[in-house]
Amino acid sequence: MIRRDVFQAIADPTRRQIINMIADKPLNINAIADSFDVSRQAISLHIKILVECELLKINKQGRERYCEAKLGQLGEVSSWIDQYRQHWENKLDNLETYLYQLKKERKHGK
Amino acid sequence: MENNTKDRELLLERILDAPIDLVWEVWTNPEHIAKWWGPNGFTNTITTMDMEPGGEWNLVMHGPDGTDYKNRSVFKEIIPHKKIVFDHFAPNFTTTIEFEAQGEQTNLKWHMLFESKEEFIQVVKTFKADEGLKQNIEKLNQYLIEMIA
Repeated sequence: MIRRDVFQAIADPTRRQIINMIADKPLNINAIADSFDVSRQAISLHIKILVECELLKINKQGRERYCEAKLGQLGEVSSWIDQYRQHWENKLDNLETYLYQLKKERKHGK
Repeated sequence: MENNTKDRELLLERILDAPIDLVWEVWTNPEHIAKWWGPNGFTNTITTMDMEPGGEWNLVMHGPDGTDYKNRSVFKEIIPHKKIVFDHFAPNFTTTIEFEAQGEQTNLKWHMLFESKEEFIQVVKTFKADEGLKQNIEKLNQYLIEMIA
């Protein structure tokens, strides 16, 4: 089985839109499908992927199936973005250190 | 479709304790850049740095394990002591560096804008995979040290 992760879930604009739609309140699958131009099957597949990535939970109420957002997983993405940012902050740290050394060298050189 | 850039950009800002002419010099002279571009444990070779609009910038980062990482960019805009803009390829993002003198200090703004949210997520994901690999290697190292001890 393909291992799903949260990055895969949000890599697609339709899936991001679905998450936005259900972020405030659960919606039934038909209501979600109706707001897109693509086929119902395509939306079902997106929902299936979101379920596998644990960003969406389906609750059955009688005949209706409601999609509920599980946004806790999204924290994983923001924590990796923070680490990626840190990677660039480190470059600025290096620049700072290098400038400090250079200033010192030039002072002594004069 | 997505005009909002918030979800595909990084903005870093720092006040550097050096006058603007020195900051500009270490940013625009390849010999200097090679010394701070990092990351830690890496060395750098700058093969081309043609600082004019349309000019190429090719930089190879040599990893501690001997792996080479090639970086290709093209400069878009150069305003001395003010601004450097370049497009980086694979992954595709545009970097804008802004310099502003504040007495004997320099305020540096470093803005990276990725082509799309998808590209940004892909880069972060690759970074995550690389970091994960690094952590695994560290774990392996630690394990070997403990075995020998």
